[in-house]
Amino acid sequence: MTAAHVAERTQASTDRDDRAIAAQAIGLSKTYGEGGALVTALGDVTVEFASGQLTAIMGPSGSGKSTLMHCMAALDTPTAGTVIIDGTDITHLKDKALTRLRRDRLGFVFQAYNLVPTLTAQENITLPMDIAGRRVDAEWFDTVVDTLGIRDRLAHRPDELSGGQQQRVACARALLSRPAIVFADEPTGNLDSRASAEILAFLRASVDDFGQTIVMVTHDPSAASYADRVVFLVDGAIVDDIVKPTMAVVLERIQELDRPRAEA
Amino acid sequence: MWRVTLRGIQGHLVRLLLTAAAVMLGVSFVTGTFVLRDSFDRAISGLVAGSSAGLDVAVRGTEIAGGDGARARLPLDLVDSLSAVPGAARVSPDLRGVAIIAGSDGTAVRNSGAPGLGFAFSDDDPAFTLIKGRGPVGAGEVVVETVTLDKGGLEVGDRTRAVIGGETRHVVITGEVEFGVLFGATAVLVDEASAIHSFARDGTVPSFTITAADGVSQAELRASVAEVVPRGIEVVTGATVDAENESSVQQGLGFFTTFLLVFAGVALFVGAFIIGNTFSMLIGQRARELALLRALGASRGQVLRSVLGEAAVVGVVGSILGMGLGVLVAQGAKLAIAGLLGVDIGTSLPVTSSTLLISLAVGTLVTMASAILPARRAARTAPVAAMRGDTPIAQKGLRRRGISGAVLLGVGVGLLGLAVTREDVPWVAAGIGSFVAVMGMLVGAPLFARPVVRAVVWPFVVVSGVVARLARQNALRVPRRTAATASALMIGLALVAGISVLAQSVKASITEGVSSELTSDFVLSGGQSPVPPQVATEASKLSEVSSVAAVGLVPVTIGDFSTTAAAVEAASMPENFTVSMAEGRLDSMEGDRVLVDRTTASDNRWEVGDVLPATVGTLGAHDLVVGGIYEDSQAFGTHVIVSRGLYEDAVPSDMQTDLQVYVAAVGGADQAQLREDLDAIVSPYLVVSVMNASEFATAEGTAIDNLLNLLYVLLLFSVVIAVLGIVNTLALSVLERTREIGLLRAVGLQRRQLGAMITVEAIATAAFGAVLGTVLGLGLGIALQRGLEAQGLRTLGIPWGLVVLMLGASVLVGVLAAVAPSIRATRLNILAAINRA
Ligand SMILES: Nc1ncnc2c1ncn2[C@@H]1O[C@H](COP(=O)(O)OP(=O)(O)OP(=O)(O)O)[C@@H](O)[C@H]1O
Ligand SMILES: [Mg+2]
Repeated sequence: MTAAHVAERTQASTDRDDRAIAAQAIGLSKTYGEGGALVTALGDVTVEFASGQLTAIMGPSGSGKSTLMHCMAALDTPTAGTVIIDGTDITHLKDKALTRLRRDRLGFVFQAYNLVPTLTAQENITLPMDIAGRRVDAEWFDTVVDTLGIRDRLAHRPDELSGGQQQRVACARALLSRPAIVFADEPTGNLDSRASAEILAFLRASVDDFGQTIVMVTHDPSAASYADRVVFLVDGAIVDDIVKPTMAVVLERIQELDRPRAEA
Repeated sequence: MWRVTLRGIQGHLVRLLLTAAAVMLGVSFVTGTFVLRDSFDRAISGLVAGSSAGLDVAVRGTEIAGGDGARARLPLDLVDSLSAVPGAARVSPDLRGVAIIAGSDGTAVRNSGAPGLGFAFSDDDPAFTLIKGRGPVGAGEVVVETVTLDKGGLEVGDRTRAVIGGETRHVVITGEVEFGVLFGATAVLVDEASAIHSFARDGTVPSFTITAADGVSQAELRASVAEVVPRGIEVVTGATVDAENESSVQQGLGFFTTFLLVFAGVALFVGAFIIGNTFSMLIGQRARELALLRALGASRGQVLRSVLGEAAVVGVVGSILGMGLGVLVAQGAKLAIAGLLGVDIGTSLPVTSSTLLISLAVGTLVTMASAILPARRAARTAPVAAMRGDTPIAQKGLRRRGISGAVLLGVGVGLLGLAVTREDVPWVAAGIGSFVAVMGMLVGAPLFARPVVRAVVWPFVVVSGVVARLARQNALRVPRRTAATASALMIGLALVAGISVLAQSVKASITEGVSSELTSDFVLSGGQSPVPPQVATEASKLSEVSSVAAVGLVPVTIGDFSTTAAAVEAASMPENFTVSMAEGRLDSMEGDRVLVDRTTASDNRWEVGDVLPATVGTLGAHDLVVGGIYEDSQAFGTHVIVSRGLYEDAVPSDMQTDLQVYVAAVGGADQAQLREDLDAIVSPYLVVSVMNASEFATAEGTAIDNLLNLLYVLLLFSVVIAVLGIVNTLALSVLERTREIGLLRAVGLQRRQLGAMITVEAIATAAFGAVLGTVLGLGLGIALQRGLEAQGLRTLGIPWGLVVLMLGASVLVGVLAAVAPSIRATRLNILAAINRA
């Protein structure tokens, strides 16, 4: 990553600083178990994600990153608090409406196992649209597929793809329906540095070029440096929020956050 | 390593329970069939022993040569000399005949297919006991057997009508008796004088039953009786009679026992399929875990042993449960048999140790055997490779299996085809051919999965798009598995289809025969019961009637050719039947001149005018003359036709009942009026009905339907088990695809759509089995019909209605099978599913 690159990107995101809010959590809590065995995965988290931004969520293992993501992505129900996606309060929606919301307005990229093994790459990409019975925008499909460089892999099944290719197919699927927001939980966690760089570059590009909103969990400081903003979670609470992070800043924060834990 | 085995069982409880359920289903199939078979055997022995209660020695006439077991009758007054025999406590002439009683609704009390019997009542007859009322006195009183009474809605004290020995009487029911064994027949008892009047009109009876005094053995009594009876009369012990009866009942039910044996074989096979299928899925799913064990240093042998130990535990547990279920299945089948055929085969359920051993061995060994292959595969996989990859995806390498399946199928069909087109069908070769063809179908099934499943799912794809496409991919993911799951249904439905082609062909042949050879307007028939001779006499007096042909039956032996001949008046034939003469003239049949059909004549090299030494009914050493040769006929179904004159000489007068009476109207007669008049004639005889030609053809076919229904019930059990097999596989594959289902839900698949996906997959599997089974069954049925063409099965009947029903029902089967797995799948927590290792 060159300095020029970073500068250019920082410039781009500054332009969108006062954008609309794509997703919002208010007083979000999630606890597991009860009594002595009570685990607080999230404790009263309030955060908002602006449209057209790539936000990274970082924090030590077990800090509640995935939990936050799942609650916001309508995959899990919070114990308390409100989640608003694209202007809709989803806290009290029924399963059917939540499913429709995930299908039409959200995109997902998981760390692994993103694809249905019986379907080809192309079928996997269009799956949510097919489920919805919506027509696929062919031009947009071509743009996404070409940007990700997976055109020659479209007819292959997931077991015939490398890990990086699988993640790219998953990215294409997440973007195809032009969702209000894409959630990615350690999308590069299983990949080597080159493959991760490709995925991250694509996520970055889709924010820059297509105005996509993306929230991504990562442990990798270099991945965080692709983001417009980094939110730090520790023990289920937001402890820091850095706009326009650089790798150096991120590394520094991680070390700071780790120090008290290491001493304790 | 044993701890690992135990932990393995704990950790995969649900999967193991499902596998044990598969073992249970397979084993229950086996146990149920064997228990049912033993029930039959026991019931038959019990019946036979019960039917000879009080019979220590039987005195009977000698068998008439070629008379199909018919015996010469004995004079009634023989009773006096028999009673004088020392050691004989009780001597009774067997006064029995046909008797039918009208129920409270005025119609005959019948027990589907079984005869209506009449007996003489006697206080000390050990064959039955009076449980209510008193014995009959005089011609106006009867005693009725308890089940008969019940069926007719009658009670002791009721007045009703009865036809006893061909005579209609108004009677009062004075008592109720219980029989030891009656083989499902109805029974009416009259006093001795009436019995002699009705059943021994000419002073003869078929036999005498002698009960020994205390301390006299059957053999001793037999010896003393033999001293007093004239020559030419048989004296046999009760034990001999039992043995004869048992073998004749066994022979009569031979078809059924053979069917049960075949069914047991199929049961073993299908059971093995279900078990093998499930266990290989289970091991496949655990490949990772086993690989981890290997990576941690367990040897191949240890992994293998641990898996086999697990299989043994599951096998034993499943087998024990299966035996219990099997007994229930047998009980259900018995109830069905009792309900459908009115045959009570007893309440006991004989579970023999050999049944238990076979069931346990089958369940355990098949489970272990089916665990070996996948376990070896798992033990051999490089740890790293197994840690990767998730669920099995469409495998390749079906080609070899497909080719062997196709070859087997080809060889089987070829052999079967060659066999059934031969003049003298080699049935053993045909049987082997069928078996090989079925094996070929089973082996080759995975190869047929793709086209059939695609075709079946196509309409769903049109309607619901991606959901059905996903279902299709799932069904085709492991064609072997889909094929194995469907095979249970395939076998069951193949049997159904095959049997019904046969039955339909029998019916079609009858209809064909009736419509082409029957020209009379009405047929008077009593079904299984004979038509009293008075019916024909009265019918011929009607003004609208032009001709009446009464058809009786008489056993005939000519040279070494034995058959049952029809006895008809030559003059009555042309108006009632189409009989074309090949040689000689129809009206030459008179006295000792008989007609022979063309095949019989040419087989025996008889020609018109030949004089042949023969026996006819009770007439021994009687010469017959071939009066004419007629073209083979379906209408009679007999190979020889004799004159009424000869019949009257050869058959005792009280046995001269008619099988059927055919009536031809005068030209332009009012058919409706004629029918009314005929109805009036037959109504006193209760069981005789008036039918036109098409009704007659249908009635002839219904006898087949009863038997068919029984077979269908048995096969229904195989279908039930097949359904449970599908449920099981589906449930396991839902488990196997937990993550994938979570993913689908995460990207927006509604619960309803998920349920639809699993349902379509189940439908595809079931319909696949149904299609293959139907094709197989139709093929085998058609081959059988071709083979039996010479035996009179001339017309092929395809039960299209049933085919449509089976295919339709398979859709329903799929829907039902999908219910539980769908519920399970839709209740999955998305996150838990995705995060599952
Ligand atoms: N189903 C559950 N039951 C009980 N506790 C849970 C459950 N899921 C998560 N937790 C707990 O909640 C806390 C937060 O978990 P979460 O998965 O959000 O962490 P994370 O930040 O994503 O960690 P990682 O970086 O390791 O993925 C942890 O302490 C975890 O043990
Ligand atoms: Mg996490």
